[in-house]
Amino acid sequence: MTRILLANIDKPEQASIVKYRERGGYKALEKALAMDQAAVIEEVKASGLRGRGGAGFPTGMKWSFVPRNTGKPTYLLCNADESEPGTFKDRILMERDPHMMIEGMAIASYALNCHLAYIYIRGEYEFVANMVQKALDEAYEAKMLGPSVMGKDFALDIFVHLGQGAYICGEETSLIESLEGDRGYPRIKPPFPATHGFLASPTVVNNVETLCALPWIIQNGAAAYAAIGTEKSKGTKLFSVSGHVSKPGVYEVDLGYPLVDFINNEAGGVPNGRKLKAVIPGGSSVPVMTAAECPGVLLDYESLLKAGSMLGSGGMIVLDETTSMPETLSVIADFYAHESCGQCTPCREGTGWAAKILKNIVAGKGKRSDVDLLLKIADMMEGKTICPLADADVMPIRSFVTKFRSEFEALCGDN
Amino acid sequence: MIEFSEEGKRRYQTILSHYPDKRAALLPVLTLAQREFGWISQEVAEYIGKLMSYPPSDVLSVATFYTMLHKKPAGKHHIDICKNVSCWLMGVYPCIDEIKRQLGVEKREVTADGKFSWDVTECLGSCGTAPAMQVGDRYYENLTPARVAEIIEKLRND
Amino acid sequence: MPKFTLNGQEVEAKPGQTIIQAAADHGMEIPHYCYHPDLPIDGNCRMCLVEVEKMPKLTPACTTLVNDGMVVRSENERVKEAVRGVLEFLLINHPVDCPVCDQAGECRLQDYYMVYGLHTSEIPLGMKVRKRKVIDLGPMVVLDQERCVLCSRCIRFFEYVTETGEMQFFGRGDHVAIGTFEDRPLDNPYSGNVVDICPVGALTSRDFRFKCRVWFLHATDSVCGGCSTGCTVRIDHRDGTIFRLLPRRNVEVNRSWLCDEGRLSFHKLSDGERITRPLVKGRDGVQAPVTWEEAARSIDSRLKEIRDTNGAASILGFASPSATNEALFLFKRYLDGLGATQFDFRLDSEDKKLADEEDQILRHFDKHPNSMGAIKLGLMSEQVGGIEGAINAARAGRLKAGVVIYFKPLVERPGDAEAEGRVLALLDELEYSVLLTSHKADWQDSASVVLPVAAWSEEEGTYTNFEGRVQLAGKAIEVEGNALPVWEVFAMLLHASGAESPWMSAEDVFATMADSVSVFSGITLDQTRLPGVVVG
Repeated sequence: MTRILLANIDKPEQASIVKYRERGGYKALEKALAMDQAAVIEEVKASGLRGRGGAGFPTGMKWSFVPRNTGKPTYLLCNADESEPGTFKDRILMERDPHMMIEGMAIASYALNCHLAYIYIRGEYEFVANMVQKALDEAYEAKMLGPSVMGKDFALDIFVHLGQGAYICGEETSLIESLEGDRGYPRIKPPFPATHGFLASPTVVNNVETLCALPWIIQNGAAAYAAIGTEKSKGTKLFSVSGHVSKPGVYEVDLGYPLVDFINNEAGGVPNGRKLKAVIPGGSSVPVMTAAECPGVLLDYESLLKAGSMLGSGGMIVLDETTSMPETLSVIADFYAHESCGQCTPCREGTGWAAKILKNIVAGKGKRSDVDLLLKIADMMEGKTICPLADADVMPIRSFVTKFRSEFEALCGDN
Repeated sequence: MIEFSEEGKRRYQTILSHYPDKRAALLPVLTLAQREFGWISQEVAEYIGKLMSYPPSDVLSVATFYTMLHKKPAGKHHIDICKNVSCWLMGVYPCIDEIKRQLGVEKREVTADGKFSWDVTECLGSCGTAPAMQVGDRYYENLTPARVAEIIEKLRND
Repeated sequence: MPKFTLNGQEVEAKPGQTIIQAAADHGMEIPHYCYHPDLPIDGNCRMCLVEVEKMPKLTPACTTLVNDGMVVRSENERVKEAVRGVLEFLLINHPVDCPVCDQAGECRLQDYYMVYGLHTSEIPLGMKVRKRKVIDLGPMVVLDQERCVLCSRCIRFFEYVTETGEMQFFGRGDHVAIGTFEDRPLDNPYSGNVVDICPVGALTSRDFRFKCRVWFLHATDSVCGGCSTGCTVRIDHRDGTIFRLLPRRNVEVNRSWLCDEGRLSFHKLSDGERITRPLVKGRDGVQAPVTWEEAARSIDSRLKEIRDTNGAASILGFASPSATNEALFLFKRYLDGLGATQFDFRLDSEDKKLADEEDQILRHFDKHPNSMGAIKLGLMSEQVGGIEGAINAARAGRLKAGVVIYFKPLVERPGDAEAEGRVLALLDELEYSVLLTSHKADWQDSASVVLPVAAWSEEEGTYTNFEGRVQLAGKAIEVEGNALPVWEVFAMLLHASGAESPWMSAEDVFATMADSVSVFSGITLDQTRLPGVVVG
């Protein structure tokens, strides 16, 4: 198994620039700065790297949509608003190896001809932001940032921007709205951020993990990266695993690694001699998989999609046989209702309604018809909103209700 | 009439310098205001509005979107405890009960001595170390009711 | 011009148009709440979802630009199902208090429910999100947060039209509510517009609330009489009473807006007693009622007598810039017939104010709807020099007689009392004066003759706004007592003087005016309907 992102994560003082450089840090930036900007983009394209925030859009392609010579500045925004339940991978990267992210941002900024970048960190991670700020200060000191990056004719400033509690701000247009000082209402696309992003200028929003992969790709070459993983899912991916496992935590695996092996080996299996009931493989918004659906499924974009779920952010939540599925769904639905921004009708009204129905069911006050009503609400919301938050509620609702229907019905009074 | 402390005013200027557009500074300035004044009262919204030349309604509208900005007074130590899936699976409810027992107030209420307030919150990104809670800029993880009691006791004497 | 297929029909769109706009141009309304033709597009309500071939998901018609060759369906089952769903969502937390809601009858929730919904509510009352009701937002607007569909039209109005930002969203998710900071009153001269654009009963008019169910009202197209902007309006009335004034959309003048002063201006009409019969001063110096025929005969003979004694230059025609073009045209024609040469209409010496904007949105300082009409009809002369000049000339004995039309402005201004004082001074100085006016006032005792005439909204006629746009205003209200429209008074005087007087209606007068006054030449009454016609 290749270790790219977590290679040095457990090494002492990896967060300091001195140790980071001793272990080869900022060499990739030096290499990139000697390359043509277009060549860096080509390299990232060739690596097959896909966005690790959840959507999995090819990173190099996203970059290539950014127009040149518009007369406006280009901005790079690092999405560190990690908020998808079950996901805590970016946090560990920023806490323990922040220079890898900074180096990745510098490489991306160089390729995109960006001179001002922001790291949008969720407000709850203030202590993480302080660590990142310390690393930024060191990077400025060492001239990895500032008016002349590594002595080259390339200027780059990076600032930390702290969110204040809104899951939706992880959606890239909402993040931009929030960064502009407004309510984090997602924007209607088109236009896309690549042309009309932050302050109506060309903007790229990349996830922390995506940016962290860049130094390795530049240093070792696109081919080396593309050699890892599967045909369409290249490289390694971080999985944060939590819930009913013996060893919760963040693990790096080659894309295409078997799901069952991951649970049993990396995550240490289901504790207390209990059986696996279900897995939410990619953060609470992806469809739940029953234990029976897991064997043979690989941890990559295509295999999980084929299995009816998604890779998402890699926030895996494992549920053992004692877990009440209606209660779990109720917790999830509450979250999306709480985090719906309220801008567009189906999401604002649908997430709240679904959450109330589930609360009723869990409290034993539900009717059998409520179970179908949940599915109807899912249909009414799906694909009709400005951003994917409603769909993020639809997927768990539909999968939990259809796969564990009898559990829901058993709670309803009129059965 | 309230205003930022001298340190706050310096901090405000620094924040402005980070952005090519003044408006982008609004959220960090609100964060600063919460640090300075404890919560975003209407008076605070009006002050920030005047300071940055935005209608107070606009400032308050932004503030009410973000759950970390308090729209009513909070205790000196505000506890946010996660009730999302992983924390729930790992037994957060006994911990919440313990907070209630220890503080004797309901969520979003402030204790009589003004020291504590608490609320449930959504995922903190501590799913691997669940259950978790946040007090100020500090995380407390792998909670048990006993540990919650210990932490509150320590904060009480703080 | 992109061509696209809309529900099987090939239609043309203007470049840069979205589907909803192009459809509207072809007379097809795609259901919507948040879209408004005079506000920036927001795309939040999701009611206008349509199917576009080759797009996997339904797309909002308000945000999607028409492309050449696009195939759009807005009426198939898939779209209807989606619209039904959005409507059901909008109603789950709605209080459904239609029996006590003033919007009933013109509520988009009701209208679309009849077309798309007709479903039974699946949410128990106890599960609804409760919000605040009956919040007083100043002199014009009352807010009910529960009825709001959060379309943001009001917020966008204050953000982009008045640029004052008083209304905002507060909170998040299904607890989002609209409001002002600390419930502060809307201190904004255009606040009434948000009541019009609110598609539901969230923002209701404080002035109109609970006065009348809208289905009992009759609408008459008109032009606002509040200032020289001449906003295109609709008068809603019942049994001779005006209940409200609403803007009619006219992109050339007021778009969809109306200022608050204009909106409330009709109340001025019921302020004070009306004059119901012509009054002529007898030898005893007391005004006594006479018939119109008696009045006309006496006026005509007296004016001719004065002319014959003192010359035609001793007769003043002092018009009102609030009278219609037709009124002013026949007024001038009658006095011209006597050989009169002295005309004016300016009650205020600062005539530069006539064209001055009061703000950048709609309002003009000149609170008369037809100053430009008076100018175009040749009723402003340097020789007279406004009312001050007329008073001086009368005092000096150069002017002996005057025919004066006076209407109290429908929008009050601090200088109004002084202006009225100047009219009195003029009447006092003239040996013989004929006053045409609508409402009673003490100072009218000074006039030799008082003729009761129709006020704004009580007669058909056209007005010429500050830029020379001629617009038709219909008759909404039957005039009180024996009062007549001003044009009819002069038609009668012309008849009394032995001239030809063939006009049976304001329309007839308009036709003659278009034939004989060069600035109006060639225009038809039809052209004066929306959006009106600009004359040279």
